[in-house]
Amino acid sequence: MFDRVTEVISLVLGVLALGYLVYEIDRRQRKLHEIWDVLDGEDAIITNSLEDMVENGELRPFAGAALA
Amino acid sequence: MTVRAARALAGTAEPQDNVAAQPLTEALPAVIQPNGAPSAASRFRIFIVDSGWNSAARRVLHENFALIRDLQRDDPIYVLSREKSVEFMRRHGSRIGRDPIIAVHDMQALNKGGTTGFHGFRLSLGLLRTPQQALMGLQAFARFLVEHRHSADLEADIRARLRREGLSGAIEIAMHHEAREIGE
Repeated sequence: MFDRVTEVISLVLGVLALGYLVYEIDRRQRKLHEIWDVLDGEDAIITNSLEDMVENGELRPFAGAALA
Repeated sequence: MTVRAARALAGTAEPQDNVAAQPLTEALPAVIQPNGAPSAASRFRIFIVDSGWNSAARRVLHENFALIRDLQRDDPIYVLSREKSVEFMRRHGSRIGRDPIIAVHDMQALNKGGTTGFHGFRLSLGLLRTPQQALMGLQAFARFLVEHRHSADLEADIRARLRREGLSGAIEIAMHHEAREIGE
């Protein structure tokens, strides 16, 4: 009886530990995606805006020694 | 084919915004051709948007910019002025507080398929709160650009890296908890 209870508790704790690991992986990946993410269709407007600024001469390659 | 033509072909050309032009005061680096277009060697176009928050990330970027520029000498870096950066943030409010933002346009992907699919990646340096985190982020960014500038599938490389980072970070956390429990 006691062995069975111990087994159930171990199983529950194992599931919780695994669930925490899955949660933590997901949380870190979501945070990483906020910091470092790909540009796709959702970013089209921003990308096009920047590219237009380059192509019409509003932005030129930076050649200074340091940022202002 | 120019980027604009590629985007028009892909149906993603957007009307130009009314942004005030800035006077040209800087000489062009060697990576740029005499007509102002990046050379064929340029895989990437790098844009820095910084509205001026007094943050650790901004200081780290300024302190290390010369090295970043030297490491990425094959690709043009476009730095938006404070005015242009503020205008950018006003137009794209969800980005406020995430700058300095370093956006990298993959010209290979842009010329091939426009902006409908993958066409680059972005580092929101402003989300890294400590100088150490910001420096590590910047170093990882520079390393990734150099290591993957000839990549055939840059999107896959980025997503694989993010998966690895997420998994290794979670394992590290789990191990740290384990170490604390046994008194180390």
